Amino acid sequence: MTATSLQFKQTSEINNLARLGAERLTLKHGKTSIIENLDVSLPEGKVTAIVGPNGCGKSTLLNGLSRVHSPSSGVVLLDGKDIHSLPSKEVARRLALLPQDTLAPDGITIEELIRFGRHPHQSLLKQWAMDDQQAINYALNAADLEGLKNRLLDTLSGGQRQRAWIAMSIAQETPLLLLDEPTSALDLGHQIEVFELIRNLSRQGKTLAMVVHDLPSACRYSDHIIAMKKGEIITQGSPKEVMTKELVRELYGVECDLIPDPMTGSPILINMKRVRN
Amino acid sequence: MMNQSLSLPNNEENPTAPSGHSLLSLGRHLTLLIEKQAVIRNTWLLILLSVACIATLGIGTMPISPKDVIAVLFGHGNPMSQFIVQDLRLPRLLAALFTGAAFSLAGCLMQTMARNRLATPGIIGIDNAAMAFAVSSVVGMGVSLAPSAMALAGAATATALAFGLAGGSGTRGYRFIVAGIGIGAIAGAVTQLLLSQVSIDVANSAYPWTVGSLSARDPMMVKVLGIGLGICLVACLFLASQFALMPFSDQVITGLGANIKHIRITALVLCITLTGLAVAVAGPVGLVALVGPEIARVLARYRGIPLISSALTGALVMILADLFGRTILSPIELPVGIVTAVIGGPYLIWILVRRTSRTSL
Repeated sequence: MTATSLQFKQTSEINNLARLGAERLTLKHGKTSIIENLDVSLPEGKVTAIVGPNGCGKSTLLNGLSRVHSPSSGVVLLDGKDIHSLPSKEVARRLALLPQDTLAPDGITIEELIRFGRHPHQSLLKQWAMDDQQAINYALNAADLEGLKNRLLDTLSGGQRQRAWIAMSIAQETPLLLLDEPTSALDLGHQIEVFELIRNLSRQGKTLAMVVHDLPSACRYSDHIIAMKKGEIITQGSPKEVMTKELVRELYGVECDLIPDPMTGSPILINMKRVRN
Repeated sequence: MMNQSLSLPNNEENPTAPSGHSLLSLGRHLTLLIEKQAVIRNTWLLILLSVACIATLGIGTMPISPKDVIAVLFGHGNPMSQFIVQDLRLPRLLAALFTGAAFSLAGCLMQTMARNRLATPGIIGIDNAAMAFAVSSVVGMGVSLAPSAMALAGAATATALAFGLAGGSGTRGYRFIVAGIGIGAIAGAVTQLLLSQVSIDVANSAYPWTVGSLSARDPMMVKVLGIGLGICLVACLFLASQFALMPFSDQVITGLGANIKHIRITALVLCITLTGLAVAVAGPVGLVALVGPEIARVLARYRGIPLISSALTGALVMILADLFGRTILSPIELPVGIVTAVIGGPYLIWILVRRTSRTSL
């Protein structure tokens, strides 16, 4: 009883602190509602993982929160203000987005890519300042890309390229960073590399949210999980509370057992088999 | 793998420019980054362009030496040379210079916005529609606005139709290109229809527009184009940092705080203005919009968006094409539109069949 109310108190405190959230958010693709009347907020200074089956609206939610997708109704609030009422450049100084589809200009080097992250801080008359240079050096360092900064983006491995894109978001110097499947198409080693980079960013006080497919990684590398199905949040909370056999079955139609990772305690899925829901 | 705390250098210190750039710092509030490669490239192009201009002014039935051409340009020289250079050849040179630059800049803008090398105003029917409207004003179909204004209206109409018919799929993808090709075909047919309905003399006066010619163009329309081109070039300089984002995906562009709709509309307005005004002068010489930006991209080694270089290469191509058309079968003149088609056609085929070819930018 006490534990529950304590938990509730913590959650409501988190809600008050949240810098990015949405109220009664409805997002549509054409006439189809993907998300309806959704309330959500991202806990500040934490890593939030958004999980759920394909087509549940995870990416749409991320696009909605980052103002790429305009709401049909409801509102996305950035520091308490409607994100669409704020100048886009001002939003870009507080919120960075790393989408899945990352087309880049031809023949661009890592350093040049990262320099684009400074776009929201620059203007016609102020094209290069000390803080631009510092932010880029910091991002190169944080993503461990200093030795590669003059390499062409096309010539990098998938993991290095993803780190370069994250470095571009770091150079944007925003307190908030949203990532859409940052580790898809990466091999195991590169996945871990990217997740550790995300963890490190969170330790420095950034608020991060990411769409992730792999449940064990979501549990291991996030503080907060939002589980979505058919455009609705069916549950959210810390990985240990939220991740249950029942949830996995409900989300994916997969029967499994959960055991804690002997080293970290975060849940691992075993004995998985597909069942019909 | 990270997390060394960086000791921050003193903020008063001046930053060093990123590699390949020079920093132009005028006080604390004005710092400009200048790409060295672009400056070198454009300087060379300007030099080439000046040489081509002086050559063009000197070559003809009455050859004039480069020295005399320069003397005339600085207000000296004998009356005969003055007359030939200033009154006969200079207007035509300016028409070539401005139309070439305008077509090519419009082509580069539209290709960048559509992220597709085939998406030039000529291909999506803007040239033809501008021509149809300009011709209709000359053959007197009730509307007697100046050809420039009519060509602009035609360009705007074609653009609106192409994007309207593409049905909100934006400037990306092939739908608006396909719609535009159809509009171009209709506009071409309308032009022919208009010309078939009027007397041969009127049709003859409209003929230069249908093939693309720089011979004896209306100085007023050349002046209007010159002013329009100047404004568009300045606008491109102001908007360069936003246009530079266009190769990214829409989400990245929005994420970096740029308004993608705003950028697209601005680029389209610039394309319409440049193409409309240029067609009013020279007719649809749209292949310059394909060839000019491509040369500029090769010179820029496919890095960045060479807007200014495109304008310069377009002007150069147009001047050389007109010079070629004027001299190769002298005294018969080939209209510049035919020369650029002869150069541009095979070039277009080459883009399409080249093994490493990509239609995207």
